Amino acid sequence: MSLIRLDNVSKIYAQGQENQVNALDGVTLEINQGEFVAIIGTSGSGKSTMMNILGCLDVPTAGEYYLDGVPVSGCTRRELEQIRSRQIAFIFQGYNLILSLNVWQNVALPLLYQKVPLAQRKQRAMEALEQVEIAVKADSRPSQLSGGQQQRVAIARAIAARSPILMADEPTGALDSRTEAQVLELMKALNRQGTTVILITHDTGIAAQAHRTVRVMDGKIVHDSLWDGVLMDINAPAMGVTP
Amino acid sequence: MNALIMALDSIREKKGRSFLTMLGIIIGVTAVLVLVALVSGYNADITAYYEKLGVNKVNVTVTWYDTSRSVDVMSALYDYCDQELSDMVEEVSPDLSTSLPMKYRTTTLDSSTVYLGSDEYAVCNNYTLKSGRDINAFDIEQRNRVCVLGSYVADSLFQYADPIGETVYLGGEPFTVVGTYYQKDGGTEGAMDDMAVIPYSLDRAMLQTDYLTSFTVKVDKSDNMDAVMANLEVFLADTISSTVGEYELENGNAAMTESTEEMISMSVVLGGIAGIALLVGGIGIMNIMLVTVTERTREIGIKKSIGAPRGEIIGQFLVEAAILSGMGGVIGILLGYGLSLILGKAMYDLILFPGGLLPRRERSRHRPGGGGAVRPGHRLRRLRRQLLPGSGADPGPVLQAGGAGRGPRGSGKRQRLPHPLFRRGGKPLGGLLHQPGL
Ligand SMILES: Nc1ncnc2c1ncn2[C@@H]1O[C@H](COP(=O)(O)OP(=O)(O)OP(=O)(O)O)[C@@H](O)[C@H]1O
Ligand SMILES: [Mg+2]
Repeated sequence: MSLIRLDNVSKIYAQGQENQVNALDGVTLEINQGEFVAIIGTSGSGKSTMMNILGCLDVPTAGEYYLDGVPVSGCTRRELEQIRSRQIAFIFQGYNLILSLNVWQNVALPLLYQKVPLAQRKQRAMEALEQVEIAVKADSRPSQLSGGQQQRVAIARAIAARSPILMADEPTGALDSRTEAQVLELMKALNRQGTTVILITHDTGIAAQAHRTVRVMDGKIVHDSLWDGVLMDINAPAMGVTP
Repeated sequence: MNALIMALDSIREKKGRSFLTMLGIIIGVTAVLVLVALVSGYNADITAYYEKLGVNKVNVTVTWYDTSRSVDVMSALYDYCDQELSDMVEEVSPDLSTSLPMKYRTTTLDSSTVYLGSDEYAVCNNYTLKSGRDINAFDIEQRNRVCVLGSYVADSLFQYADPIGETVYLGGEPFTVVGTYYQKDGGTEGAMDDMAVIPYSLDRAMLQTDYLTSFTVKVDKSDNMDAVMANLEVFLADTISSTVGEYELENGNAAMTESTEEMISMSVVLGGIAGIALLVGGIGIMNIMLVTVTERTREIGIKKSIGAPRGEIIGQFLVEAAILSGMGGVIGILLGYGLSLILGKAMYDLILFPGGLLPRRERSRHRPGGGGAVRPGHRLRRLRRQLLPGSGADPGPVLQAGGAGRGPRGSGKRQRLPHPLFRRGGKPLGGLLHQPGL
């Protein structure tokens, strides 16, 4: 059974009004545990909309989303909060961190919602910050960090939370190529440790580093291919990490 | 707990804005408290004023159409009160006043009021003897030229000397001072202490009239006011036939009740206005909270994405709003109390609190044994009655004495209180009496 399954999912904004947008139009997609999937597409194609649904931040207008085999539409608000807290970690293009908290507090925040005791929170946060090599900045404010450093902190937060799924919406969009490589390397490392990574980008170069690429256009999936560019069946079996 | 810390953090982060947000609440709360306190202070001030004036008084005013056929109302009234209403009526005193210059040696007071009263004048009008003796029935019988001085007159004319036994000139006539009263109204010029009492039997000598047409009936307690009024009504209707004259009964407490009611509606109105200020303050907080929420959509989004429970996200804003309004409220209450104290002291000389007030310091300071004092004049009534002036006297101008008991002092100087009571009834007696050429 796949970890993530979208079954004919549609998302319509401003339904019934003149400016109605079919952001997602009957998308069916399966992602297995441990995959590193890149979702690519032009601006406005519906990538972020798809990620919001995958991350349980938004609900589909039609169709069903199964997470771990459980239909999400049947979940209560509390259950969705639990899913976001324990199953899914997010990295956004910018604006990942809460500016009023310092770096380690940001990293420890998901643990708070997981009800981890304070001492352990700090310890796990510091470990995660060491993994992304930014522990020296633990007591700094996010505003005192560069964009790349901030993204590393966001990754540290995902590490600390120990979420099995990492969703990143253009995490390297504002970074130079060297920093971009750093961030990507961290995500790959997480994936090697078993985390399922879903990476949204419009950069084919970055997408090429994933082992699977899903191309979205006008709310529909138009390509679903393996790392080597060979067009694969949408229901392809789990591929694992490329050696 | 979490929400509390975060809310405090974000308040601390934006001190200036938080303060401005609170300002609305601060002003609103302060306004409510101060206005309510001031109204209650004003009310207490007026109540105390009426109390000083003497409560539970029925004012009886008689107007004769034809003086030659007038009956001896005073005598009849005394009798009636003494026999029929003795369990409810404490004292009866004529109520007549004039303004006469008072002179002692080289000092002259020009605007003091002279009351022509009985031995019960003091009780009827809430004066307490301080030194010497009060006017007694023999003074009235003998038309003794004696007087009892209010504290302002005594202090002004005699400074620190003992006035008892000294001679003062009232309107040029020599009077022996037999007693003084305690201060009961601030002891300033024009206050209720700026007065002297002389025996009412001197009315002909001093005022060239012997028509005592206005009386004060002192009732023992307010519960009996209506009963006394009703009885007097019947009695007066019997005594004064409508062809010879008319009478008027006035409940002395009515003005006080009226002004209390006025106060209540005033405090409702003012409190309402201040309440609107408070509401505006609340809307201000609401508005700023909405702005904050929009401002922090990013933060909310991040928190939501890492699984913050909705309750916590909402809680943070609620707690923040609660802290802001709570702090505003507390500051407002402190300010309100402070201002109430300062203004209460300055305006009414009262320790004012928004919830009420502490007892007035000077209230009932010199009132020995309350109102039920011994009545030394009681036995003498019968005797005195025969001496009362009244029927068969010279026909003179018809006097409207109704104003005498109303104004605290003939000329109604207490302009600080623009109460209807003091505006009503046109010219007070003092002024009227001046006109016939005194
Ligand atoms: N909240 C919303 N209300 C209405 N329309 C929306 C909303 N969010 C997205 N859309 C519309 O849905 C479509 C898909 O938007 P989406 O954000 O998913 O695009 P995207 O692929 O992420 O683009 P980009 O690469 O620029 O981020 C767009 O036409 C967008 O205008
Ligand atoms: Mg997007």
